[in-house]
Amino acid sequence: MIRIVPLDEFDPKLLSALAGSLYAAFGVGAEVLPQLGVPDSLPRPYNPTDLVAALPPVDSFPDDRILFLTSRELQPRALPSGSAPTYGLSHYDGRFCLLSIASLGEIKADNIRRLTRFAMQEIGHAYGLHHCLDPRCAMYAHWTKSFPTGDAIFCTFCREKSEQRIRQVKA
Amino acid sequence: MQRCESSAILTTMSSPSFAVGDTLIYPNQGLCRITEIKSEEIAGQHLRFVTLIISETGARVKVPEHKMLKNGMRAVSDRANVDEVFRFLISDSARASLDWKKRTRDNTARLSEGGLLRLAEVIKGLQELSELRPLPPKERGQYDDARHLFVGELAAALKIPHANAEDALDITLFPVGSERPKRGIEEFQDLLEGVDDDLGDLDTADVDLPDENEAVDSDAQDKGDEGGGEEGPLSAPTTVAKSPRATAKKRAAPRAKKAKTSAAEAKKAPATRKKPATQPKKRSPPKAAPTSKSRARTKKSK
Repeated sequence: MIRIVPLDEFDPKLLSALAGSLYAAFGVGAEVLPQLGVPDSLPRPYNPTDLVAALPPVDSFPDDRILFLTSRELQPRALPSGSAPTYGLSHYDGRFCLLSIASLGEIKADNIRRLTRFAMQEIGHAYGLHHCLDPRCAMYAHWTKSFPTGDAIFCTFCREKSEQRIRQVKA
Repeated sequence: MQRCESSAILTTMSSPSFAVGDTLIYPNQGLCRITEIKSEEIAGQHLRFVTLIISETGARVKVPEHKMLKNGMRAVSDRANVDEVFRFLISDSARASLDWKKRTRDNTARLSEGGLLRLAEVIKGLQELSELRPLPPKERGQYDDARHLFVGELAAALKIPHANAEDALDITLFPVGSERPKRGIEEFQDLLEGVDDDLGDLDTADVDLPDENEAVDSDAQDKGDEGGGEEGPLSAPTTVAKSPRATAKKRAAPRAKKAKTSAAEAKKAPATRKKPATQPKKRSPPKAAPTSKSRARTKKSK
């Protein structure tokens, strides 16, 4: 099951629409949990790794994937080959992922395609999916120009792989 | 075009000195950890076995120590290797072969050989090919496997999360804020010269192929033989070959005729059908088996 945990105040309609879209994308149940508080001691802009580590534990089952949704700005990451914009963080084959909507612009409940696309990528990583070659797929590199304008869909390869991974996780 | 010599930077273990707790790379499997080194006697031979646990799957593997190098096991790449790999990824290197057989063979060998640079070669080659045309499913799977192994080793080498390791790779392949270029066949043109056309030494001049006109004439002759006794345009020898649609119609004609006659018979049938003379007899319900009470009554009456 996918559990969406807001770290800030969000429109309940937006959250329920996001849960519906994620259910349609992954074929597993999705629900919205109550808002969780963020410790004030963390320096800003937030380091995504530190932010996830500082959050209180969430009641869930081992096969659940938890998406923390925030509107706070995240620190850009310095990588060995350069700098990458940070929209979120996901532990590969892990249980937690984080998505920030600070850089996504205005998102309304009736048009959450962009938000769903970014959320799909983070949850996809949590299920063990890698970046994809197909620009239409939600697992395509998210810093490219075309990514935010695409549909909230997986390519055939990623869809099959996500289904396989979900089955493995459940087993 | 630059081409990186990978053999120079491949990390191989020159001396088999392992200790419990060491982390190694198992080709095609990824990261594994030594949990036990033990001597055992098998068939009169004293062998040292190294027990490994593959990090991702948790599978336990027992390998004879003398076969570890032969299997391609090696230490995790160091920082110098990683820098070399990133230089290779940024460089304008040689393109992947357009011959799918050669490409698949090479990539399979690279994956089983292991090494960060070999994996990078597979990823970059297939990535560039995908900018020319979509990858077939098998190669798409191979690309994903290579990426998975690469990310796992890079994360272990630099001690960073997998997400950052993958983004470090992808920043070089997918430039930030722009799209991947679309490549033309001319970029791969130099490779086309070496591609076999799979015809071998087959020379069409030496082969006796039937002449087209000859084939049509013989067909017409057959047709003439079939309709020899008939008069009219069909019986005359024509040079027009039979179209498949015409032959299909011809074959279907008797079937259609048969279907028509059977339908007509079916229409007539209800009128000529007679009612059965007698109604079938109703079956009487089966008699109940005699109980002990009824048996007693019959005895008394007797």
